[in-house]
Amino acid sequence: MSCQLAILCLLTLLLPLLSRGAPMSPAERITQAYNLALSMQENMSTLLQTYLQAQGSPFSDPGFSAPELQLSSLPPADISFKTWNALDDGERLSRVQGAFLALSQHLQLVGDDQRDLNPDNPILLAQLRDARLRAQGMLGNVAAIMTALGLPNPRAEDTVGLVPFGASAFEQKCRGYIVIREYGQWTDRAVRDLALFKAKYPL
Amino acid sequence: MLFQIQISRMKTSNVIWVGNYSTVVKRDPVLHWSWKSELPLECATHFVRMRSRVDDAKIPEPRFWSNWSSWKEADAQKSLGRDPLFLFPKDKLVEEGSNVTICYISRNQQDNISCYLEGQQIHGEQLDSNVSAFKLNKVSFIRKTGTNIFCKVDQKDVIKGIVLFVSKVLEEPKDFSCETQDFKTLMCTWDPGTDTSLPKRSSQSYTLFESFSGKKILCEHKNSCNWQVDSDSQEMYNFTLMAENALGNRSVSVLFSLTHRVHPKTPYNLFLKNVSGTKATVTWKVHPIGNYSTLLCQLDLLGEGNVIQQHNVSIKENGEYLLSELEPDTEYMARVRCADANHFWKWSGSISQKFVTAEAAPSEALDVWRNVKSVSGHPTVTLFWKPLSKLHANGKILSYNVIVENLDRPSRLEVHSVPATANGTELTLDQYSYQIHVTALNSAGPSPASVIVVSGDPGNEEAEEERINGTEDGFSVSWKPQSRKAIGYVVEWCDHPQDLPCDLQWKNLSSNTTSTVISSGAFRPGVRYNFRIYEISTERMANLLEKKAGYLKELAPSDNPQVVVSNLTSHSFTLSWKDYSTDSQPGFIQGYYVYLRSKAEKECHPGFKKATLSDKSACCQHRIDNPEQKTFVMENLQPESVYEFLVTPYTSAGSGPVDTFTKVTTPDEYSHILIRIILPMIICVLLIMITCYLKSQWMKEKCYPDIPDPYKSNVLSLIKSKENPHLTIMNVSDCVPDAIEVIHKPEGSKIQFLGASKSLTETEFTKPAYLYLLPAEKNYSGPGPCICFENLTYNEAAADSGSCGHFPVTPQAPPSQPGPLTSPENLLKALEKNYMNSLGEIAAGEASVNYVSQLASQMSGDKDGLPTNPPEPVHCSEYKMQMAIPLGLASPPPAENSGLSSTTPLDQSEHYR
Repeated sequence: MSCQLAILCLLTLLLPLLSRGAPMSPAERITQAYNLALSMQENMSTLLQTYLQAQGSPFSDPGFSAPELQLSSLPPADISFKTWNALDDGERLSRVQGAFLALSQHLQLVGDDQRDLNPDNPILLAQLRDARLRAQGMLGNVAAIMTALGLPNPRAEDTVGLVPFGASAFEQKCRGYIVIREYGQWTDRAVRDLALFKAKYPL
Repeated sequence: MLFQIQISRMKTSNVIWVGNYSTVVKRDPVLHWSWKSELPLECATHFVRMRSRVDDAKIPEPRFWSNWSSWKEADAQKSLGRDPLFLFPKDKLVEEGSNVTICYISRNQQDNISCYLEGQQIHGEQLDSNVSAFKLNKVSFIRKTGTNIFCKVDQKDVIKGIVLFVSKVLEEPKDFSCETQDFKTLMCTWDPGTDTSLPKRSSQSYTLFESFSGKKILCEHKNSCNWQVDSDSQEMYNFTLMAENALGNRSVSVLFSLTHRVHPKTPYNLFLKNVSGTKATVTWKVHPIGNYSTLLCQLDLLGEGNVIQQHNVSIKENGEYLLSELEPDTEYMARVRCADANHFWKWSGSISQKFVTAEAAPSEALDVWRNVKSVSGHPTVTLFWKPLSKLHANGKILSYNVIVENLDRPSRLEVHSVPATANGTELTLDQYSYQIHVTALNSAGPSPASVIVVSGDPGNEEAEEERINGTEDGFSVSWKPQSRKAIGYVVEWCDHPQDLPCDLQWKNLSSNTTSTVISSGAFRPGVRYNFRIYEISTERMANLLEKKAGYLKELAPSDNPQVVVSNLTSHSFTLSWKDYSTDSQPGFIQGYYVYLRSKAEKECHPGFKKATLSDKSACCQHRIDNPEQKTFVMENLQPESVYEFLVTPYTSAGSGPVDTFTKVTTPDEYSHILIRIILPMIICVLLIMITCYLKSQWMKEKCYPDIPDPYKSNVLSLIKSKENPHLTIMNVSDCVPDAIEVIHKPEGSKIQFLGASKSLTETEFTKPAYLYLLPAEKNYSGPGPCICFENLTYNEAAADSGSCGHFPVTPQAPPSQPGPLTSPENLLKALEKNYMNSLGEIAAGEASVNYVSQLASQMSGDKDGLPTNPPEPVHCSEYKMQMAIPLGLASPPPAENSGLSSTTPLDQSEHYR
């Protein structure tokens, strides 16, 4: 029931992307994207916890954290405040767009990995699928904002092509952890970016 | 050719394995041989070399080995990247319980590396400066997603890991067997045991191989496989089932003849026909097996879940059987299953059908009992009967018929129909004997009649009650037969004697029985059960034989009687509890304990003994052994003392609660005496006072009249008899007053009159003054026509003065007239004034009396209840001469009279003095 409700909400948020009805103002699009980012933020901790619990020790150990694990194919969400503050609208949105493009592709990869590693864990697989759909939704929302603001929309790139497919099971588990962790960090950054736009382009 | 292979590790001299490999070498041979290293090859450099020798029997000995080949090096580390840490083997699949060796390769010798298996640190063996190996013995299955092993470089936040996929051990298939239902298909089934499948690994598979035909199939399911029987030619089958997974295989075989593995299909079309009360026909069909096969079918008849009948029927295709000895109106189930009649292998599945037999008339008479009582002078019979059991009812009871026949006077039979829901009925009869027939009716007919005879005259229903003891099994009741004509006995009791209705129960017993055990789930300890034993005569009339009463288990009384205290005296009181019923107690009351305690008395009274209560306090206890003695007199008590008492009954199980004592305080010893004396005295005084009040006028006339009658004076009679017999009473008409004695009294002595009469005799009358009223005799001093007398009831001193004929006037003047009375004018004025006052004070009736008395007119005024002036204090009680004053005298006398009366108010008490 709750799963169906979540999909319904998701569809509501994604609906503007699919419909070609009356054009929305930039502020409305920003608000919509902001609400989606908040929704993603709410589900983040659950997704991470579900994922880590399914991987076994050391991932499932209490307080597990491995910041040293990085994935070169994912743009880092960390940025100095000065740099972040100095970003113009186009750069800010294109970085978010690029990140969620990479994240959506990586979440697809993680979903595939977990289908092999945890085929009997439908909750995890569903949460990964939802996360991927949300990342794609954010991608669309940001693209719509850029269009509404008259900013150039960069062409989508294939980022996962750089990911090694011959990863071992342990590497897959680590990769999934990094992707979900970065997904969370980029979601936080997107909330902050969109809050800035929301203030800048009020309804 | 035979090849000998040597494998070294780390260095060529360290040979760790030597083995032979024999194969047929053909032209242009490329031979393949593999070897599995326990230690991952990435962990250390391995070397291999070999030599060969001809291994052909055709070639005669001696056969020589070739030279060793050069060492071939296998160094997997060279192909590793630049990562600081590597862990091997990656994603290895092992069986649970096996031993596994893992290793890590570090690029930096200085690094301190620690490794963990599921959070537990593991310690290994260092192979060289960069490589350490860990041997894991008997690895256990943790989860399907694998066991994580990881190593990390301290201080560098480098983490590397592997996943060891531990599989459950593949088990040998159990209960492997094959059978056919139609000689066309063989169904082989087995129990696969534990599932060994893992993620990313193919699951275990099952292959069926038949050795006679050489056919082999891969089974689609993990626990069954279908084998097609090609033709009728093959009778014997030898199947091998092989289970296989990535780590190994297990197999099991079975050899059988096809005809011995026939498992027929479940029969169908099971019907019941011609179902009567006791019989029914069952028909069913089976699927044919081959052309000549015969099936053995088992027909079960079930009632209430239990198999009642079982029949075996051999059939080809259609089955039929007649079931008999069935009970009417009973639900049954017919169940059929079949097997190969020639070679029994397995029963087919079962088919079943429920059916209900038809109803029949009830087979047994009702068990009827009665209770006769008199209501408004008419004998009323309450009939009770027990519902027929399902076995005897043979159907749904629709109603009960009660037929009443008068035995003493031929008359029409009374027929009563009682609804099926009732278990009894009530009949009002006359003073005759009646025979009552009771039958139960269902749709098929009536039951045999149950006959009971009731007499309108209840007769003697009393019998001596005997006590019996209950046991865990119930009450053992026995009786003595009274006559030999008894056809049976009935024991009657109530399951709930304290309730209304009491749930009457009865038990029928045969004539040769003289005892029975009455048991009931309703029996409870502490409840008195009364049993009545009746003898059933040949006329089917019940006569009371004996009465029994008993307890399943006697209990101690739970309540104490309500005790009334009476006859309370200073030394005793009486306790009584006559309302206490001994019959409704939780045990046979054997008597009572009377407890008494007092702070005043330390010793117990005779008949009492000391007892200690549960609260450790001491008291005195007296035991009454007669349960019907419900009074007790406490004697020899102390007056004005507080006593506490308690009466508690006791049974064989103990006494009642000893908790709440009642306080009684004995009264004072003399109080009753005082009450006996003082009360009558008070009543007497009151009576006297009331009498005096009512007779006051009479008393006054008799004892102290306002004007005493000298003739009636006792003094006179006394004087006459003792002193002067000639003394006579002065006649008023004879006495002519001639002078008024005026007493001059100084003003200062007036105060003395207020308090003491004593002064009268001493000082006041020093100088009497006389006022002569008769002018003819101015100096009259001796006895004259005036007769003097002594009024002894008054002041004797004044009487003795010898001033006969003189009237001493009270020297009292009203306060309003302070002037001296020395002159006649003043005196007359004063008298006149006083007279006028006196007229106003005296009542009308009295004012007409012509006597002037010294007695205060105030008295008469008081007694009449009409006081005109407030009573004045008596100033003196001096002597006053009495005299009669004729009405025809001159005007001064009224003034004189009034002056006398008004100035001499006497207190009543003075007269009695």
